[in-house]
Amino acid sequence: MVLKLLREVLKVGQATVPYPFVPVEVPPGFRGKPEYNPEQCIACASCTIACPPNALTMENDLEYGIRTWKIFYGRCIFCARCEEVCPTGAIRLGYDFELASFSRDDLIVQAEFELAACTECGAFFTSAKELEHVLSLLEQAGLASEDIRVRSAILRKCPECRRKIELARVKPHVHKAFRE
Amino acid sequence: MLLTDERPKLGMRYVEALRKQFGRSIQDESWQATDQVTITVDLNSLPVVVETLYYQYGGWLSVVAANDERSLNGEFAIYYVLSVEGNENAPEADKENCYMVIRSTIPPHSLEFPSVTPRVPAAIWYEREVRDMFGLKPIGLPDERRLVLPDDWPEGLFPLRKDTMDYGFRPAPVTEDENYEFIEVEGEGIVEIPLGPLHITSDEPGHFRLYVDGEHIVDADYRLFYVHRGMEKLAESRMNYDQVTFLADRICGICGYAHNVAYANSIERALGIQVPPRAHYIRTILLEVERLHSHLLNLGLACHFVGFDTGFMQLFRVREKAMKMAELLTGTRKTYGMNLIGGVRRDILKEQRTQTLQWLGELRKEVSDLVAILLETPYIVQRTQNIGRLEPKVTRDYSPVGPTMRGSGFNRDIRKIHPYCAYDRIPWNTIYKDGCDVLARTLIRAEEFFESLSITEQCLDTMPEGPILTEGFSYKPYSFALGYVEAPRGEDIHWSMLGDNQKIYRWRCRASSYNNWPSLRYMLRNNTISDAPLIVASIDPCYSCTERVTVVDVRKKDIKIIPYKELERYCIEKKDSPIK
Repeated sequence: MVLKLLREVLKVGQATVPYPFVPVEVPPGFRGKPEYNPEQCIACASCTIACPPNALTMENDLEYGIRTWKIFYGRCIFCARCEEVCPTGAIRLGYDFELASFSRDDLIVQAEFELAACTECGAFFTSAKELEHVLSLLEQAGLASEDIRVRSAILRKCPECRRKIELARVKPHVHKAFRE
Repeated sequence: MLLTDERPKLGMRYVEALRKQFGRSIQDESWQATDQVTITVDLNSLPVVVETLYYQYGGWLSVVAANDERSLNGEFAIYYVLSVEGNENAPEADKENCYMVIRSTIPPHSLEFPSVTPRVPAAIWYEREVRDMFGLKPIGLPDERRLVLPDDWPEGLFPLRKDTMDYGFRPAPVTEDENYEFIEVEGEGIVEIPLGPLHITSDEPGHFRLYVDGEHIVDADYRLFYVHRGMEKLAESRMNYDQVTFLADRICGICGYAHNVAYANSIERALGIQVPPRAHYIRTILLEVERLHSHLLNLGLACHFVGFDTGFMQLFRVREKAMKMAELLTGTRKTYGMNLIGGVRRDILKEQRTQTLQWLGELRKEVSDLVAILLETPYIVQRTQNIGRLEPKVTRDYSPVGPTMRGSGFNRDIRKIHPYCAYDRIPWNTIYKDGCDVLARTLIRAEEFFESLSITEQCLDTMPEGPILTEGFSYKPYSFALGYVEAPRGEDIHWSMLGDNQKIYRWRCRASSYNNWPSLRYMLRNNTISDAPLIVASIDPCYSCTERVTVVDVRKKDIKIIPYKELERYCIEKKDSPIK
């Protein structure tokens, strides 16, 4: 038995690889660290909602109209849910897994986006890029240009103002229905 | 909710038999699936109903979950889940396998319920945990020590109740000293040997106290739950359904995917979601890939504990292939994160399939060579034969699971008894032996490894086409069901109740090792202390899994403190006993 074992061991030779002195190969589909493309991002917060460990966060500054997207790689579990739910492909998992660092700040990536102000009352209510994205989707869907104009005007208002305008619009009809 | 399924309800005969025997004590019956029924019984008949199902109808206690239902119906509820398989003396045609859940409600003012443990010893840890986490009082429980909560946890603070605390809350410690009472063993020359909680070899904390007479172990007591992470509370607090699948992956470092599938299955059953067949096959393949690496790890550890370190190294070298297979199929070596409610996230492509089949063939050749070498060594057989015996009677009383139980002659594998995923669509065999000792358990794992290779190959060959994820279903609050899986260590079972607002109301995840630990004490008796690490390793304990945590205490009397490393060295070298 000893001879058989010895033969096995000798046949194997060296079983270890000299990493970190040589790069390690990872298979395709390997889940490394998420790579972010702020140009594509519309700050819709889908990734933030889907992220299980809350590595992705979104903060709104309603005074200056700024939305800050932030990822903290220390919490990331490399699950790729953010990649799955992103509507524009702005975040994708790459192949990088060597994230060790002496400073916590190395693990934080931030991006700032403008918030859109309501055309009626001026309050900030949504991400500007998200709003433009939705409007361009309506155009792509092939709606008539009058339709788009009407919807555009509504979408550029905050939900409070939309409600007020809609109420004002139906008020005469409601009064009429009561009187009849 | 698979009531539109034309299959007959499995277990109807047991329900009818219970109704005939207990009459009006059986208050209600509701079916969650064709093989899962929940029967509500009157609180006072609870112990006798559970005992009847356990011993007369071939039931095995799977899990006991308590639930704070005060916001739903004003009371606490306790669920005893039994896997009922028919009396072993009954003819085959009369046997049906099903899960029966005996439910009882407990009034919130008294919090008392009659303990089932005096009749069914398997319920001991469950009732202790229910006592710690909910404050429910089992009357007649023989062992009233704390199981989960540490000694410095305040009295009266019950973590899993809905109104007591937030999941991130850390109470100030109330006492400096450990005051857990270990059992007392009397006798001439009995010495207590404490091991742990931080032993270098075992990598995971657990404090064992062995009562030895000379070199022979007379009894043992142990305390675990040092790494309780409060996952159940976390899942209820801030996670939605899809996020909990990722949390479930991290219950264990070895059988994580099994927990993931069990959880996903429990939600899918509760909602009656039909998972596409291709997703079932993919889940089966990944479950078996996990089993491969887990069994190789245990075989390697078994070699290590008997002193055969070369075998340990070679088995771990071979295990790397199983890890690479996982990395190819899922993108990472462990914590696959491949499930969502309704299916899987990633498909298996042609190149991955070809590469996996090639590696499976290589694994088969290499491992069979290594196992042959192992078994030809008389030293190894001698060190594991008749060591750590788990008698069939103890097995039947304590409901251990997996190879631990199959080593004592019981042919029970959840994949055959309650089929899930694709296990009922491909032919394969369960492995069981009646040696009752460490050798039998280790051999079962070795043979299961080859069975897994065969199952994976068949799945890769016969996978059907189609979608891999079912989307667009709606959640029904307060529906509940069981999800179960045969993890490498045994039956993993999750009981989930869905809640409002996209969150889970209650998630009880019982890992396989939880059922194995109570019977460890009986396995350790009448063995020498040099074999203790080997016996503990033979149940393949997964402390992280078990913990949602347990602990054993030892009372300090005349104790000789021996570092665990010493004991392990003694196990390996068998000379220079540390207690001389």
